[in-house]
Amino acid sequence: MVALIAVASMVPGLLAGLQSSGIDYDAVAYRTGVILTEDPGWPGWPVYPPWEMKDQYHKDEIERMGLAVSNETPNILLSTKIEKFFNDTFFTTDDYRSKAIFGEIPYSYNITLRSLDGRYNHKVGQETPEGYGYIRRVVKIKEPSVAVIDGSLKERYTISPGDNSTTRTFTVRLDFSRLLNASIDPAYRIDPLTEPVNITITNFSEYLNKTDETVKNATLKSVTFRRGSSSIRFPFPYDTENPDLYTLSLDGNPYDLKPEAPVESNISLVLKPPATSLFPLDQNSILDIRFTFENDPPHTNITGIHYYDYNPKNVTRPALKPAVLEVAIW
Amino acid sequence: MVNDSGQLYTMEGIAAGLVMLLTAYLILSTTSIYTPGDTHIPDMQLEQLGSDVLAMMDTPDTHGATSALETYVNTNNSTDFKTAFLGYCNAKAIGTDTLHMSANVTYRGDDDQIKEHLLVEPDETWTGRESAVRVTRWVQLDKQTSQMRPYGSRPRAVLVEVLLWRA
Repeated sequence: MVALIAVASMVPGLLAGLQSSGIDYDAVAYRTGVILTEDPGWPGWPVYPPWEMKDQYHKDEIERMGLAVSNETPNILLSTKIEKFFNDTFFTTDDYRSKAIFGEIPYSYNITLRSLDGRYNHKVGQETPEGYGYIRRVVKIKEPSVAVIDGSLKERYTISPGDNSTTRTFTVRLDFSRLLNASIDPAYRIDPLTEPVNITITNFSEYLNKTDETVKNATLKSVTFRRGSSSIRFPFPYDTENPDLYTLSLDGNPYDLKPEAPVESNISLVLKPPATSLFPLDQNSILDIRFTFENDPPHTNITGIHYYDYNPKNVTRPALKPAVLEVAIW
Repeated sequence: MVNDSGQLYTMEGIAAGLVMLLTAYLILSTTSIYTPGDTHIPDMQLEQLGSDVLAMMDTPDTHGATSALETYVNTNNSTDFKTAFLGYCNAKAIGTDTLHMSANVTYRGDDDQIKEHLLVEPDETWTGRESAVRVTRWVQLDKQTSQMRPYGSRPRAVLVEVLLWRA
């Protein structure tokens, strides 16, 4: 009987803490944070095309979504991967769970990325409840480079006097053997196959033929592509605008690649990786982007080849942008 | 019949009772209760954040430039180091966090002695009893500066230690 009394007085000990351990949401959040900030994702380098270039029909080939530029540059994120990841009309909740969060349980999630200057302010997922697993990572964002050709380069890109041709061509040259230089850290590398190529010609009035007072603009006939010495076809019709492949704007108005329209002050061409990947290029190719102007008599004196390379006078590489990534899981 | 065998029964009974008590006690006392005095998860989250911030401050923003961390340490710039570090740490998607820091640098001086230099003093929230985490990073000071600075004149590697706490 004494034993019974003793046992009865120890029953409260039975009821304490004997439950299956709760799910460690902090651990899942930490793991997702590592996948997003330190992993470039799969398929990723060396397999091409990387996961952020897969379209709707190949979405199932994405195994893992990571935002890092490469696995040698943790915490440096690539802007093209960020834009793709936070596109929640392309990815569904199940996609985020199976390609970024993993695990057998369908976790609820809230992933946000905000740059300190506010330019990037992305969010995917549901609203956070009172308690959740959490991790915060500090990162830097690598943005695509821009080749800005303004009036100050006029001396370099004007025809020599005595040139009597009527077509004027201005070429921007991408030499892949120079660009894909392994000695440059991936955080500062220019890679046209995974990042947009951005060519902006401003102060175009400086390049007009000033001898004729009535000339206010020049006609851009077409933008064509050449590899080495032979011209290559753009794999899509020249006369359809396709914002997924490129954007061409003359004085702020969008056009296709055969604009045949007058331009007065600026030309901006952004060639996106899905377009560049369609050209037959390897690491030794030279891709020329040729702007052809045609007027009779010629309205502009622009000519020459502008190299899209690591020279800071030719191409501006934006500074890495600090940002903070937060992952909440519950 | 009254004889000695009754004593044996009693003793057996008492021994059995004791064995049962002991067994019951052993089984029921092995439940362990998890008390929330364990801070290893919040500490890990803070350590990862601090380590990220030091790594990002030590990454040059443009190719070939010197990193901000190396410049702050080289020029002994306590205010800018503190502002930059806390700016990174306290940034959130919505609102700001309330983290505080102090930092010191350990180095081998010109006289070959290991010394410590207080780079950022702790502020008024520091009582000495905070649950703080320590994050460290080796910084390569490559440039020989002509100005007098505490670390000496030749290029050297120094250890930057930052104490981070929430207040």
